[in-house]
Amino acid sequence: MSAPTQERSGRGTAAASGLRGPLTVLASCAGVAFVVGALPWLSGNDPAQTVLRARSAEREADAQALESVRRELDLPSGPVTGTLEWMGGALRGDLGVSWVSGAPVAPSIASALGVSAALAAAAALIALATGLLVVLPGLVRAVRSHRGPGRGADVTGAALASTPDFLLASVLLSVVAVGWGLAPTSGWEGPAHMVLPALALGLPAGGLISRVLAGALSATLAEAWVRTWRAVGCSPAVLALSLLRRTVAVALPQVLLVFAGLMGSSVIVESVFAVPGLGHTALDGVLAQDLPRVQGAVAALVVMGLAVGGAGILLHRALLGPALGSAGLSPAVAAGAPPRSLPALLGGVLVAVVALGLLRDPDAVGLTARLEAPSPAHPLGTDALGRDVWARFGHGALISVGAGVAVSLVALAVGTAVGVCGRRARAGAADVLNALPPVLVGVLVAAVAGPGLGGAMAAVAAVAWIPIAVHARTLATEVRASGFHLAAVAGGAGPVWLARRHLVPSVLPAVSRHALMRIPHNTLALAGLSFLGLGAPHDSPEWGAMLAEGVRYVERAPWVVAVPALGLALLGAVASLVRTRRPER
Amino acid sequence: MRVSPSRGPALLGALTALVLLATGCFTDGGQDTEGRLGVALAFPPVKQMSPFSDDALLLGRVGAAEPLTRLDEEGELQPLLAQDWDQDEDGAWTLQLREDVTFHDGTPMEAEHVADALEHASAASPRPRALAGTDLEADAEDEHTVRIETGEADPILPQRLSAPELAILAPSAYEEDPAAPDPVGAGTGPFELTEVGGGSATLEAHTGYWNGAPSAQGVDVDFVENDASRVGGLRTGEVDVVDAVPIVEAEAMDEDELVEVPIPRTVGVLLNNESGAFTDPGLRAAAAGAVDNAPVAEGVYEGRADAVEGLYGPVSDWAVQRPRPEGADPGDAGGEAITLATYDDRPELPEAASAVAEDLRSAGFEVEVTVQDFATMETDLMEGAYDAVIGTRSYLVETNDPVNYLASDWSCEGSYNLARFCEEDIDTMIAEAAGHTEPEERHEAAVEIEEAVLATDSFVPLVAERARVGVAEGVEGVAQDPLERTLVTERTQAP
Repeated sequence: MSAPTQERSGRGTAAASGLRGPLTVLASCAGVAFVVGALPWLSGNDPAQTVLRARSAEREADAQALESVRRELDLPSGPVTGTLEWMGGALRGDLGVSWVSGAPVAPSIASALGVSAALAAAAALIALATGLLVVLPGLVRAVRSHRGPGRGADVTGAALASTPDFLLASVLLSVVAVGWGLAPTSGWEGPAHMVLPALALGLPAGGLISRVLAGALSATLAEAWVRTWRAVGCSPAVLALSLLRRTVAVALPQVLLVFAGLMGSSVIVESVFAVPGLGHTALDGVLAQDLPRVQGAVAALVVMGLAVGGAGILLHRALLGPALGSAGLSPAVAAGAPPRSLPALLGGVLVAVVALGLLRDPDAVGLTARLEAPSPAHPLGTDALGRDVWARFGHGALISVGAGVAVSLVALAVGTAVGVCGRRARAGAADVLNALPPVLVGVLVAAVAGPGLGGAMAAVAAVAWIPIAVHARTLATEVRASGFHLAAVAGGAGPVWLARRHLVPSVLPAVSRHALMRIPHNTLALAGLSFLGLGAPHDSPEWGAMLAEGVRYVERAPWVVAVPALGLALLGAVASLVRTRRPER
Repeated sequence: MRVSPSRGPALLGALTALVLLATGCFTDGGQDTEGRLGVALAFPPVKQMSPFSDDALLLGRVGAAEPLTRLDEEGELQPLLAQDWDQDEDGAWTLQLREDVTFHDGTPMEAEHVADALEHASAASPRPRALAGTDLEADAEDEHTVRIETGEADPILPQRLSAPELAILAPSAYEEDPAAPDPVGAGTGPFELTEVGGGSATLEAHTGYWNGAPSAQGVDVDFVENDASRVGGLRTGEVDVVDAVPIVEAEAMDEDELVEVPIPRTVGVLLNNESGAFTDPGLRAAAAGAVDNAPVAEGVYEGRADAVEGLYGPVSDWAVQRPRPEGADPGDAGGEAITLATYDDRPELPEAASAVAEDLRSAGFEVEVTVQDFATMETDLMEGAYDAVIGTRSYLVETNDPVNYLASDWSCEGSYNLARFCEEDIDTMIAEAAGHTEPEERHEAAVEIEEAVLATDSFVPLVAERARVGVAEGVEGVAQDPLERTLVTERTQAP
């Protein structure tokens, strides 16, 4: 793998590489198909039993009933034959009939896909708009005052990114829909029904997008052309627009990743607002082991994911324009290190609160003290079992932060490696993986790794590296188009030297800040798999679990969720301000 | 490949266009709701409204389809589509049907239709729970008389016939697929199902209903799984009736908005008799003695469930006078490690598990709690992978006595035997109970079996649940059915 080859193949001249792309995609699609087709064999649960259970929740699964379901479904004899049969049908446009409902799969998947695509697109647009709004003050400041964009965006963005979408959905439901009556509570009958779910999904995603935008903005501000334009008296408006275009170019692949990812994974938000989307279809299908439905849903998601991943790359190229191919870019090291005082202060507050909580008893159950408001005895209130919220917050900190940080570090290492070493940017295995519903990944990991926190971390890490890789890939493309990189190539630098001296150092600061900002996000994702037996044990005071269990009481006892939510926000803010760059060499 | 710069915004525009385009995917709504009932139900249809699934309950609850008999609020057998029944000496039953029933498609109901409907149900895959283990052959004797033969004489067939799965549908329902009948326009109830799909269902009043024209002009059903948004719909006035009001939401509602009915559903801890620590009767007794269910009823269930002493709840008046079982002497837990499992399909169960685990810990057990979705842990539950399981179970499902429940949950060959329980004496008692013809005899036997089961300390009773329905102001005549088979009836008035 040499850098010049990359440049050429980037223009589509290397036939071998051109062929390898579709092959990778085909291989990963086939891999997914076989894994999905093997679901009942991997999970070890009899599909006749899960299908019967989905049809009749309380029907005893006696031998006779199971046998009759088995006969009716004509279950495939093995995973391979079953998948091959399904593939044959799918190629003819026949997705089969659902094992549970007996209805043809294709129409229901098509309608759920339409709903999910609309919701995810609205959420992605909101995410982009939110991200832009967050970095806008910094951009204005930078253009006007010739200073850096400041750190305000980091804290706002981090706070948004640490907000759990399911909590936001519940709050929006009870405040905006029920309290103020401004939007319908549930259903999918018109554009008004789309507002709240799209906000619940889009705002947290916007926080993550803002991180990518802010990173791109400070890097672009340090580029030579900005100085030149300023020197020739270019108007601030023109400069701002050009900066915005460069910045958005880096963020758009992320926006599309959000779009593709949300289609199959917005299960809780879909459920809160009774949106008949694909996430719920996939979840029900996986739990009931309704293979035709899972296969149909996954096929739809993967095809969309690949199309969207491809679109993201095209968009990035389109927005960068001719600069990308001709040494026109000179991404430089951004100026301005973060102040040390703010993260120290926020971190200090967090550590102090956690330390005080550690002195309290997190396990003392007191059913008579259920959901008590903050009082001298319980300064942060009690949860549904009368346990002290402060104590649980303190005792849960280590496991929550530790697991989130571990997943983020793995994601950073894998994502950077894949993003920097990847040859030509194209839709591929990452897009396939990103599109998979988390419940499917969870069930598969639980089957392989067994239940527990380790399994949950593996399942979350399996997808957490993707946004990092796409970010790294986007930035690396720009670095490869820069003068210093081309000069090094011309000077005979080898790929390892290039990666070590140019690509990784240029890409790593922005990417690692992105990864750090995702710590709260990963912590939440860990708790989201607990219904599969993955994650921290029941009764563990882990923050994500506290949030997931407490969200039912958001109206009656807001402190139960407010405390861990604030903890995550603080964690996010501290992580976003951590210095990721060595001082100037 | 060079892409022109102008394509960027264009693609962004495409994303926007996708949002706008997809507005075509919205389901219809907003028709005139005057005189109609808006109902939000927790469980969506699973099998295209086929009565040979849980959708049967749905059909009954919205008043679309009816079986031949019904069980009233006291559990007494009452006529519905059949007005009278009688058992021959050879064990066959003869039913007299109402003569004034028409299906929603206009066909008058005749004995032949009823016989066909029952035989289709008997041939369904799997056979409806009410008919499990029963061979059924139905014939039309004359226009309004049906004769039903069962393999062995069945003393409680009329009770079985009240099961929602055995609803009688018009012949048109079975034409396309007799294994999954389509009830649209084919029921006999006060409301005709006209449309299902996309998370909602529409029903129109059946003016020719045999028990008089219904009060409401129609029913608009939304399926809303999330508790908060279902109840939220009631609070904003989007719907008039919601089912399955969760305890956490009940607190915020006015008492006159809430219809609460004790139901025959018991929550308890089942101790594994086959393997692990609880094969020791002393340890079972120690566990049973350690668990205090009053705080669970008052705390976790917020006083909206009743602490119970046995398998049956207060709704079953025949079980109120129960003898105190004599169990083994409690042994010493001595740090014995046990696993306690429950499922999260009902939010109270995991909280109850935490409370029970604390009780067991203070009695000297080391407890590890596992909580998962039922579907992902059913195999493990049935195989006895855990030492203790907290489960919730309806003990009167198709008949008004718990003998079927006892057979499936507490006999050696039982198919829902979470306690892995097997006592020969009790098996014999259950088999004898199943042979009794009089409801009183069956109830007495059920209480005796309960005593025998409790004496083994294999079941630690927690609470009996209640059903909660939320109704808007001005809505009247919502059914208060402990079996949760009916909700909207011909007497239900829209606000």
